[in-house]
Amino acid sequence: MSEFFSSPFVALFPTAFFTLALYSFLYRDNPLFKLAEHVFAGLSAGYYFGLIFHSVIVQQLWLPLTQDGEWILAASGALGLLLFARFIPKVAWMSRLSLAFVIGSTAGITFIQQLHGLILPQVSRTLLPLDSVNNVLIVVGVLATLIYFYFSKPHTGPLGWVASGGVGFIMVAFGAHFGYTVMARVSLLIGRIQFLLIDWLRIGS
Amino acid sequence: MGLWERLQRVDRRVLYTLIFLSVIIPVLFPLSLPTPVTPETESFYAAIEAIPDGSRILFPFDCWPSTLAETEPMAVAALRHCFRKNLRVVALSNVGMGGPSVIERVLGQVAGEFGKQYGTDYVNLGYKANYQAVLLGMGSKIEDIYPTDYRGTRLSEIPLMREVPNYDSLKLTVIISDNAMVDYWVSLVNARFGMPMVAAVTAVMAPKQLSYVQAHQLQGLLGGMKGAAEYERLLDARDRATRGMDSQSLIHLLIIGFIVIGNIGHFAARRARAAGRAGVAA
Repeated sequence: MSEFFSSPFVALFPTAFFTLALYSFLYRDNPLFKLAEHVFAGLSAGYYFGLIFHSVIVQQLWLPLTQDGEWILAASGALGLLLFARFIPKVAWMSRLSLAFVIGSTAGITFIQQLHGLILPQVSRTLLPLDSVNNVLIVVGVLATLIYFYFSKPHTGPLGWVASGGVGFIMVAFGAHFGYTVMARVSLLIGRIQFLLIDWLRIGS
Repeated sequence: MGLWERLQRVDRRVLYTLIFLSVIIPVLFPLSLPTPVTPETESFYAAIEAIPDGSRILFPFDCWPSTLAETEPMAVAALRHCFRKNLRVVALSNVGMGGPSVIERVLGQVAGEFGKQYGTDYVNLGYKANYQAVLLGMGSKIEDIYPTDYRGTRLSEIPLMREVPNYDSLKLTVIISDNAMVDYWVSLVNARFGMPMVAAVTAVMAPKQLSYVQAHQLQGLLGGMKGAAEYERLLDARDRATRGMDSQSLIHLLIIGFIVIGNIGHFAARRARAAGRAGVAA
């Protein structure tokens, strides 16, 4: 009996069932699709709750507090608890203390991350010598695109021509994104079909 | 309805059926269509190849199970390359939903192929919430962020992790991602700690990530199933991505064909309508 349940066909059956149930939406909305959707949402919520509780509350707060005596973490725990003050109207204002901390730290990290990690390196690597076709395309493309997004002057005359060139570059970028998006979606379909044929039904190469 | 109008209004079920057949036929009967290797994939391969054998690397697996069709072949190919060079892998995930368990399965499978041991050759640190704090905190002390690994063993009891206190002892980061985590690895860890990086991302993300390669913030890039197939070719270890690219190529031909037919139909119908109006006016 145990061999029956551990055989690839039976063990993989739930995955195959839910795959087919989700693809049944191609025909039209139906109870099978709804079932798969609800099971996915329920499982995800339960799994995520357990994961966060174990990896954050237990591992990073409770155990260091009780076993390693890291009492400083009690302040973080208290800030976390204050978030629930929103449910009690009289003391709801106290949740803002925690939110201020979250927003302040996130804004600080993001500012440095965007400026130091993204904008400055990208700008510095765009200042290229015009000694190859690639470099010319990059420099001209960036300038033309930036001019398209310059709205303090009407896009007429030479400014209009350059802005039109910028639109051309943007269209090429959109085309590349669209092509890659098609490839990504098709890859997901191929992955599911490979699973159904090769892993589940054991046919094909 | 004339022929040209009919060409513009092909029933979507006909399209679904043709696409379905284009996927299935190459799975059953491989066509072995060529997949040329792009410079970005070659750079990815060269970055791993350049690391001394036996070095330690970081392997973030920041992707959801829903994109495994693209990310798993890339991860498997990259891990095979790493273990072939006896690199020691510290894996983790910033995606809680399924990330750590996928690492456990994929890393365990490839490590098994090469006879690698958990704890000495590879480790799965699992998931921790708040990716920004995790990425910055590991620069000081990994143990502060991950007191235990995914299996609950204290890091001080894991031989590999005793050699890895922070980023300084890691030679490269191989990011497998289907979301904006690459931006954070690049802008927080590469920019601040100078950690060299390569990324394997889903095809949707690839065009944006190319700007990081251009700016040398990433040393190489794999884009989706095609990137995985190219890497399998470089490793001479053809697997699922190579087979999947047969279906991919057929479907792309089909889509190109329908776009061309639809456009021909559109312009021909417009001309026919214009000719009709001219006839009425005369």
